[in-house]
Amino acid sequence: MGIDKRKVYHLDWYLIFNGLAIFLIGIVNLISATSSFYTSSYSYMIKQLVAFFIGIGLIVFTLHYDYRVIVRQSKWLYLSGLFLVVLVLIIGLIAGGAKRWISIFGINIQPSEFMKPILVLYLAKLLHEKKKQNVPLGIKDIMFPIGAVLLPVILIIKQPDLGTGIIIILTSGCILWFVGLKKSTYAVLGIISVISSFALWHFVMKPYQKMRILSFINIDADPSGFGYHAKQAMIAVGSGKFFGKGFMNGTQHKLQFIPEHHTDFIFTVFGEEWGFFGSIILFLLFASFIWRCIKIAQSANDEMGSIVAFGVASIIFLQFAINVMMTIHLSPVVGIPLPFISYGGSSLLSILGSIGLLLNINMRRYMF
Amino acid sequence: MEHFVKDGNTIIDSKYVWSKRILIFFIIVLLIRLWDLQIMRGSEMRTLSEQNRIRVKKIVAPRGVIYDRNGKILAETRPSFNIYIIPEDIKDFNQTVDGLAQLMNMERDEIIEKLKAASNMPPSFPVKIKSDVTMDDVAKVEAHRVYLPGVQIQIEPKRYYNYGKTFAHLIGYVSEISDEELKKKEYKNYFPGDFIGRYGLERSYESYLRGIDGEKRVEVDAMGREIRTLDVKEPIPGNNLYLNVDLEVQEVIDKALENKRGGSVVIDTKTGGVIALVSRPAFDPNKFTSGITKEEWQKIALDTRHPLQNRVIQGRYPPGSTFKILLALKGLEEGLINEKTSFLCRGGMPYGGRVFKCWKKGGHGAVSIHRAIVESCDVFFYNLGLKLGVDKIHEMADIIGLGRKTGIDLPGEKDGLVPSTQWKQRVYKTPWYEGETLSVAIGQGAVWLTPIQLVQLASIVANDGVNYKPKIVKKIVSPEGKTIKTFEPELNANLKFKKDTLRIVKDSMKGVVNEGSGTAYSSRIQHVSMSGKTGTAQSVGERGKNLGDHAWFIAFAPSEDPSIAISVLVEYGGHGSSAAAPVAKVVTETMFKEKKEIKEAKLNGYR
Repeated sequence: MGIDKRKVYHLDWYLIFNGLAIFLIGIVNLISATSSFYTSSYSYMIKQLVAFFIGIGLIVFTLHYDYRVIVRQSKWLYLSGLFLVVLVLIIGLIAGGAKRWISIFGINIQPSEFMKPILVLYLAKLLHEKKKQNVPLGIKDIMFPIGAVLLPVILIIKQPDLGTGIIIILTSGCILWFVGLKKSTYAVLGIISVISSFALWHFVMKPYQKMRILSFINIDADPSGFGYHAKQAMIAVGSGKFFGKGFMNGTQHKLQFIPEHHTDFIFTVFGEEWGFFGSIILFLLFASFIWRCIKIAQSANDEMGSIVAFGVASIIFLQFAINVMMTIHLSPVVGIPLPFISYGGSSLLSILGSIGLLLNINMRRYMF
Repeated sequence: MEHFVKDGNTIIDSKYVWSKRILIFFIIVLLIRLWDLQIMRGSEMRTLSEQNRIRVKKIVAPRGVIYDRNGKILAETRPSFNIYIIPEDIKDFNQTVDGLAQLMNMERDEIIEKLKAASNMPPSFPVKIKSDVTMDDVAKVEAHRVYLPGVQIQIEPKRYYNYGKTFAHLIGYVSEISDEELKKKEYKNYFPGDFIGRYGLERSYESYLRGIDGEKRVEVDAMGREIRTLDVKEPIPGNNLYLNVDLEVQEVIDKALENKRGGSVVIDTKTGGVIALVSRPAFDPNKFTSGITKEEWQKIALDTRHPLQNRVIQGRYPPGSTFKILLALKGLEEGLINEKTSFLCRGGMPYGGRVFKCWKKGGHGAVSIHRAIVESCDVFFYNLGLKLGVDKIHEMADIIGLGRKTGIDLPGEKDGLVPSTQWKQRVYKTPWYEGETLSVAIGQGAVWLTPIQLVQLASIVANDGVNYKPKIVKKIVSPEGKTIKTFEPELNANLKFKKDTLRIVKDSMKGVVNEGSGTAYSSRIQHVSMSGKTGTAQSVGERGKNLGDHAWFIAFAPSEDPSIAISVLVEYGGHGSSAAAPVAKVVTETMFKEKKEIKEAKLNGYR
């Protein structure tokens, strides 16, 4: 299997340049987020660029393989992903009270990030196998797929990495909805999710995770902890006003009022420095990017491709929406990175790998 | 083309429309929220972010320095470390308060009380929790700063009294303004944590000594650490005081009155300038500046020896025989007696059915004015008193300034009393009995004077009928060195005494110290002559206990050309000659030691 000129011609350049634009905004924003008033810091930016180029390499490499082949072999990807997630629990590095990373040759990777696109591929395979023409899936059809999703999710939530767990569950939900279920199956799933939410709240979630949700409902319930951070994040974004305070002039993050301002809370930096004006541009770029993802799903050669493309679109949309919403107090604070913008090699590679899949599907939309 | 490659799955096809709608819906929701935060509430949020980062810090202005007449520093300001809490920066109230209480060895409630006292200030206002902490404490707090958000250490000037209790009553002290005072209108320019002059010069010259605090706007991070200074308004230090006081003389008196109760004041007879003013027992004014504890305050306030009383200006005592000088002046002036007038002293004088005793049981025999003063004969003055009558005595006292406040520049001065027939009628509604005049004539009975008043009597003799209002401060100088105010001598009394009157009284007072029979002969000085008058006043005692007599001595020196006047009082000191006069002796010796040196040099040269 190789790549011929025709396929290169069919690369979705819209998607590529749209993604690149968001990524470049992210790089500029990252410089400010990681610099103080006195010294500019480029080390984070350089690491992020290195991850970016590795990601480009990954895209080029995977484009050689037909996505159908990748989907069919996704069981192995799933198993190795699962292995890494289990490994995290055993030899994971502890940082900030959580075990989320493993170190391979001195490079820290976060396996849960890679689990997102892998599960999209694996679900596409499993659901595609069950799917008959125009017949919605029943509860029996989705038992195994759901089990395949919940196993890594439970392990990931145990790390604890609630954010990634939530994204995987929601993405899976989107995919099931996309494929189509029987009405009774929706009802059963609905009941199960309500019951398991209660179980999650009572048995799995740690006090600090509960506090986040409580402080979302009442921002003053925990004025020193999460409520404080949520408030400071809101103040940061709001204080940007229409045109923002300008590049490198954000005081909220530079004076440490915002935690994790280069990762999960990075939108506060952008909102503070570029204001409403910059935010509109960023949102439109994201909207256009996700729109394009849906378009790729729509125009895919087969259902397998549609499911994968729609899954990737779901991941990017969910991460974007939830991440921005938590910084402007529209959702509780959960650790979810903003695609392309947040600092983090694993997250960026995971996104780029997913885009590789989209390009792959789009490139081969005329092939049988 | 697309129709051809698609399976025509209608279930999936319907999802594309919906997912696009959902996408658009969320983008709109996000933009509406951003519009609300950034545009509708943008200014409010901008203000909040500014309040986050900008702190206005007070730069406490140093208080004016107090110098003695030779430019020696008596009171100054030194840097001290103070611990503050900025309520707004507290993340976890209990963590910060308990943590600090533990480190500083304080009670939790003590900190909470201080925070409550400043609760009407903005939350960014730093509340002083502890003043003048040690370097050890500073190190402890610095090391735990991360766990104590909201806690701040500031270096601020602190009042320091270089000579401690030596100047306790003269300079006084400052202490932190109380919550009750802050509520009053007259303290509207003061803020919690400010210091205010409480006593002595610190109080009477508060408006000059106090500077104008400056402020600094700084940018702080979430931990309250200063990141950069935005702008500074420099503080303006208070004005400096230059006193008429001589440190050396003050110290000499302080030492002479050590472990005694009493007071002494030395004034410059030519100007009224106060050279020294000591009251004992005293307290350590430095204790007040670093926040005196309740126990320490109780100890001082409840001390039965009353260390907080300035005996020189607030202690009222019968003047005893020192009062005889006043009678002598008035008697000679009125022509009721002259140099040769003599009375017979047989050790007492019968009057009105009782015998008024002279202190000398055997009597002085026939005494004229000179011997009557030198040997302090009571009978002579009983007779003179009767000749004068109480109203003449009162009149003279009033002109000189006895029985009234002198107007010295210290707070809390008390008046005194020299009785008159009118006074008795007004207060007791009974006529004056001549017998009472006899007591008044020897400075007993209803005569109550303060040491600062009696020094006026010595001064008016020394200065030939002229005396001045006593003044401690000579001039006020701005921090830049510009003289703001100079205190010129202010005339109190200007009496045209007859030449003879002054000569006779001066001669007699010189005799008190320098003649063999003089009551203060034991305090004579070799190289310089001092004139004076002893006094021994019966005391009322305390709680029915007779603690002995009060010892008085008033003096001026040098006898030939006086430049200083002294008054000394030692409570329950016994005889003026033995308890009080020696203090005046050391003062005169100290003041005129240069003369002594010249004299000694001359002697050495002749040898």
